[in-house]
Amino acid sequence: MIECRSLSARHGSFQLADVSFAVPTGQYGVVIGPAGSGKTTLLETIAGVVPATSGQLWMHGRDCTVLAPEARGLSLVYQHAFLFPHLSVAANIAYGAASPELAEEVARRFGADLLTGRPVRALSGGERQLVALARAFARRPAVILLDEPFSALDPRRRTIVRREVRALHREWGVTTLQVTHDFTEAGLLGDVAVLLDGGRALQSGAPDEVFRRPASPYIAEFLGAENVLAGTVRVLDEAAPDWLEGDSALIAHGYRAIEFTSGPLVLYTVGDFPAGDGYAVIRAEEIVLSLDPPSGSARNRFRGVVTERDTLGALTRVTVDVAGVPVVASLTTRSAKELSLAVGMEVTASFKAMAVHLC
Amino acid sequence: MTPSAAAATAATAPSRGLQRVIAVLAALASSLLLLFLAVPIGQLIGAGGADGVRQLASDAELRSALSLTAITATAATLLGVLGGTPLAYLLARREFRGRAVLSAVLDLPLLIPHPVAGIALLLLLGRESAVGGTMLAAGLRVVGTPLGIVAAMLFVAAPLFISGAREAFARVDPRFEAVARTLGDPPLRAFLRITLPLSRRGLIASAVVMWARAVSEFGAIVVLTYNPKVASVLSYDRFTSFGLREALPVAAVLAVLALIPLTALRTLKGADDGVTR
Repeated sequence: MIECRSLSARHGSFQLADVSFAVPTGQYGVVIGPAGSGKTTLLETIAGVVPATSGQLWMHGRDCTVLAPEARGLSLVYQHAFLFPHLSVAANIAYGAASPELAEEVARRFGADLLTGRPVRALSGGERQLVALARAFARRPAVILLDEPFSALDPRRRTIVRREVRALHREWGVTTLQVTHDFTEAGLLGDVAVLLDGGRALQSGAPDEVFRRPASPYIAEFLGAENVLAGTVRVLDEAAPDWLEGDSALIAHGYRAIEFTSGPLVLYTVGDFPAGDGYAVIRAEEIVLSLDPPSGSARNRFRGVVTERDTLGALTRVTVDVAGVPVVASLTTRSAKELSLAVGMEVTASFKAMAVHLC
Repeated sequence: MTPSAAAATAATAPSRGLQRVIAVLAALASSLLLLFLAVPIGQLIGAGGADGVRQLASDAELRSALSLTAITATAATLLGVLGGTPLAYLLARREFRGRAVLSAVLDLPLLIPHPVAGIALLLLLGRESAVGGTMLAAGLRVVGTPLGIVAAMLFVAAPLFISGAREAFARVDPRFEAVARTLGDPPLRAFLRITLPLSRRGLIASAVVMWARAVSEFGAIVVLTYNPKVASVLSYDRFTSFGLREALPVAAVLAVLALIPLTALRTLKGADDGVTR
């Protein structure tokens, strides 16, 4: 288990402040955040190479806050690998390895065994990352810290190596914390996601929860939610409206029907958000476009005009002007073609009440 | 490029003729400086080198002065490396209060006139001082002995080693050490297995520069230990006692002695390991 309790550290002029989160034993944590948010400093503080100035770090039931890096039972992989250039590839992998046999096995699993005949200086960035991963896993650590370890790999190799890291993580039960810029990777790998910005942990939890229920409009926008609307929340106190029928469990948990007004738009959702000002977040992939008003169960429906259509491979991003408010929907390119969506066309944008997250 | 952009470029860039004149002037100035630096040494070795080599066979005092120079310079360099390496590492790696002051103190011997350095050492190590008196009582006489020569050489040349070694350590990214630490190495082991090999070339270069500087030291040595004579003092002694003709072979041999390791160092090939990730 990695548990940061109000952990603070200083690295040069950068301040990591009051960071708290936990990655349970054997789970996979991902740290996401913009460049310069302190992701690498966080890993270095957990590794002990940057000393903590306050707070506590617990790993596997013991307080490691002031423990030397070599006594923490972990490995650290930097984005730039930092292979020792005066040693061979094999010597790099064997450096600190639990046993020569394990070093060989791990090298084979990452495909680094094919590189042992080459000098470190001759390796490409991606090959260096393979060797660095093999070197770190060969130690058979209880905790492994990975700082964008796949960034220099080509897409095909990245998928294979990611799978191998995940497999070793599961087989050995090694608690993992990985820094990534790739939200897909965060969703694929992570059991726990930590969002860092300005040296502070803004939110942590299951990746799906963090992505779907961001704690603030800033987080929502950082995580790629394109529809973030400022407005006013009004709690509908009357008995559950017809669109909440069947969701009595939610009502029992304190959730209420909510009306959210943002300019000309009135949205309906459920939640335990207090009345007053707030933000509504609707992920683009939750919005359905149709040529005619849909007959489904979606509570929120708006007629609008397509103002923009961008095809990005298999996905198409469509902006619909709803009474002057741009609403962005993401649909498969195939669906967009079937609907013959074009700029100037009138469409209906609809989404379910549960697709609206208030923060 | 649009016509207006081309016109703007033409207006701001010097004309081709002016560029040529600037290039010629720069080459001329560099050549003159190079000649000014190289010719006196070349002339010295050319005029006295052959005689110096011949005298090595017949002149016992010259042989003794040269071996004393080499031995004391080597001893001073070893002491400099021993004490200077941790200091240089500390200055390269750690942020601490007073680091700038410590750096300035270490550079001080490079900035003061060397006879002044000799006088300062005399004050510290002379028989009248507490340190010198204590050492004398322990049977260690500094002034007028090879120990005084080593002290003078160490004082004036060690800052060169520390400065060079500090640069060499600073060129090794501390993340190499961080990785070694997380792979199980305690600090000293990480230093010996990673930092030292990666900074080796810079450390050797700094030690050679220190040795060459120690070999050529005169001002501080002459205040502390005139006799026994090192090569630089012998050269000066012969110049003042017998004139240029007698001093020339000694000076030429001394110049060669200082130049050999520096030239060997400059021709060493290969890039510095430390900057590579």
